[in-house]
Amino acid sequence: MIATLKSTLAAMCGVTAIAAAAPAAADYPEKPITMIVAYSPGGGTDTAARTIAKYVEKHLGQRLVVENKAGAGGQIGFSALATAKPDGYEIGFINVPSIHLVKKLREGVPYEISDFDPIANIQLDPVVVAVAAESPYQTLADLLADAKAHPGELNIGADGPQSNNQLQLVVAEKALDVDFNFVAFDGTGPAVKATLGGELAASLPSASGATSQVESGRLRLLGVFADQRSPLFPDVPTVSEAAGTDVNSVGASMRGIAAPKGLAPEQKAVLEKAFAAVMEDPEFLAQAKSAGLPLQYMNAEEFGAYMSKADAELDSYVELLK
Amino acid sequence: MLEYLLMGAASLLDPAMLLAVVAGVVGGVIIGALPGLTSTMGVALLIPVTFSLPPQVGLAMLGGIYCASTYSGAISAILLNIPGTSASVATMLDGHPMAKAGEPGRAISLATFASAIGGIVSVLALLLLAPQLAEFSLRFGSPEYFLLALFGITVIASMSAGAMEKGLIAGALGLILSTVGVHPLTGTMRFTMDLPTLYDGIPLVVSLIGLYSIPEVIDLIRRARTSDGDGRGVDRSSPLRVLPELMSQKLNLLRSSVIGIIVGIVPGVGCSVGGFLAYDAAKRASKAPQTFGKGASEGIVASETGNNAVTGGTLIPLLTLGIPGNPVTAVLLGGIMIHGLRPGPELFTTNADVTYSFIFSLFLSNLLFIPVGLLLARYGLRVVQVPPAILAPIILALAIIGAYAMRGSVDDIWVMLAIGALGWGMAALAVPRAPLVLGLVLGTLAEGELARSLALVRGDVGAFALQLVTRPICLVLIVLCTFAIVHGIVQHRRNSKFLE
Repeated sequence: MIATLKSTLAAMCGVTAIAAAAPAAADYPEKPITMIVAYSPGGGTDTAARTIAKYVEKHLGQRLVVENKAGAGGQIGFSALATAKPDGYEIGFINVPSIHLVKKLREGVPYEISDFDPIANIQLDPVVVAVAAESPYQTLADLLADAKAHPGELNIGADGPQSNNQLQLVVAEKALDVDFNFVAFDGTGPAVKATLGGELAASLPSASGATSQVESGRLRLLGVFADQRSPLFPDVPTVSEAAGTDVNSVGASMRGIAAPKGLAPEQKAVLEKAFAAVMEDPEFLAQAKSAGLPLQYMNAEEFGAYMSKADAELDSYVELLK
Repeated sequence: MLEYLLMGAASLLDPAMLLAVVAGVVGGVIIGALPGLTSTMGVALLIPVTFSLPPQVGLAMLGGIYCASTYSGAISAILLNIPGTSASVATMLDGHPMAKAGEPGRAISLATFASAIGGIVSVLALLLLAPQLAEFSLRFGSPEYFLLALFGITVIASMSAGAMEKGLIAGALGLILSTVGVHPLTGTMRFTMDLPTLYDGIPLVVSLIGLYSIPEVIDLIRRARTSDGDGRGVDRSSPLRVLPELMSQKLNLLRSSVIGIIVGIVPGVGCSVGGFLAYDAAKRASKAPQTFGKGASEGIVASETGNNAVTGGTLIPLLTLGIPGNPVTAVLLGGIMIHGLRPGPELFTTNADVTYSFIFSLFLSNLLFIPVGLLLARYGLRVVQVPPAILAPIILALAIIGAYAMRGSVDDIWVMLAIGALGWGMAALAVPRAPLVLGLVLGTLAEGELARSLALVRGDVGAFALQLVTRPICLVLIVLCTFAIVHGIVQHRRNSKFLE
């Protein structure tokens, strides 16, 4: 009797489970999807997230609702995403390499990189070398020569500490065998301001953070940390080009979409398709261009491969950031 | 120039512009008056809405929120003794005592008109002097910031009239609390007890809510047994009757506006500091400094003029150099860029139509929050008639929601309650709480900038000391600090003698 009851119950549960799962695959998404953003409203990450959320709605068939879980340099939001239910209704906007740096630099961070299932990369914002317009350094070679002559004496500022910008600096210092005096600022804006005010030999902002100053002629770019020249600044050489030595551009700030591990493949396919479509949507592209968002699409596979590669490479630099 | 001005003024006749300003101001007044909802959040949440609007209309709306929310924190500060935003902490020092003395309407009217005047003077500075003032902001390096923060901390003396020792203890406590979190230069974690919510330091807005609303709730609960409300009549006098009083304080208005604008031009300092410094200056200049903290109209006027004058000031480096001075303007920068505009000289030439309409819309915003704020306050005034047994749970609920809403974090509610317990202890021992806020706001700035100044000279203390006495702005600030401390000591001695 009890056994029968048990099996009936089990069967019923099974049926309910299937009944619940079946429409999920076919009609997904049938309600708005939440997207966790690990930074506060109004920052660069948040603005990018809200812009894409607005335009992906058309391709997703449902609203994408931004939920800010800010704090602890992204740790709170990334952790929330890692432990979110993988039911397809909670995804996140993630920042590479920050998500790796937080994990590697801190004790007791409650997520692993393998907890995330990458869906698409949206943005790639390279780090650039910027000097004030009146600076004596006309080329990157000038700056490097002066740094070699005065090891540890030239001030170089950037958002920090332990930011992707500082990471790019230590990577470059190692590759180019130079030593700068790194000074951390509370964001890219203050670092750029200190460059304009003559407190720094150079600064390392993200390309998007330097655009307006470069256009107004107050800042001069000496190099871009990237494999190819940036479409934003076609006249500025890459650092590898200008220095004649290969410099890894792992410090570039990437922003993409990820889900918690365990998402149903059908749901993942729906999300992948929607984000691939929005990246070709002319309205979104026009909006991103006017807002200065440096877009760079990668599909799930490419984004996942980039993350694994970055994760492995960072191990050799992480000690230099501490 | 003249044609740009005419163009800007004419754009205000566009119904879409008017509607945007009205919407921004109404939203801003509500956001500012509710503790826990900040100007930053309001502006950030509206940016996506402005995508589809023409740039000048979208910016006018954001500007309306910014000006109105910076002002309306005063409403809850005066009526409830809970600052709506950190900018209204100094207003509370005299605003709430005046309200308690039966004149909440007068306090709110003073705050409203003073805010509008401060805001308008600062927009005038933005309109006429922006390029010149922007160069000044670039001359502010780390050593200057450090000294400015130090000067701000000397204001503690003014915040703790009659209880200098207690004020200093509270200020020191604020400074100590400001060291919690990641070290600004090295990234080392300090006193975080492994709680991620503390990694970025003790959140300021969350602490403000705890510090002021929890003691108020406890006080109300205690009174709930004995009374059904205050039994006071609602102050129904005309708001306009404060105008002669305000006009007799021309010097105070002008001084506070200038202080606010200067604080605004220096990126990274913020509205609350403008209010604090203006309050301090007014108290020092006043013929009756002993009335400050007990409902002095000069205090309310100075603080509100000062904090709203910061708004126009912060827009100067933002529009001319693309450097945001506080979180709100950082968000505003995003809003400007989203419309494809780039801060810099071309904003005043190629895009002059958008820029000047935006600036003119700020004049309108600063005028429009007068009726909107007074109307809201008219109903808000009834708060004093609500029986404590009803008011206490409402405030507690708002405090919890506000703490949570900041970052969507339950942990922040616990932080708020812990700070609330501290605030209750301070209130019970008659320790002033404003110095603690000041320490918390400026401690991070002072420490970070000191560390950065030293890092810039590679740790050479001698070189840093030399900078302090050779850079002109540093010298001025050192003189101001010395004056403030000496004046504070003399004043304290005189008061002590008087008491004996």
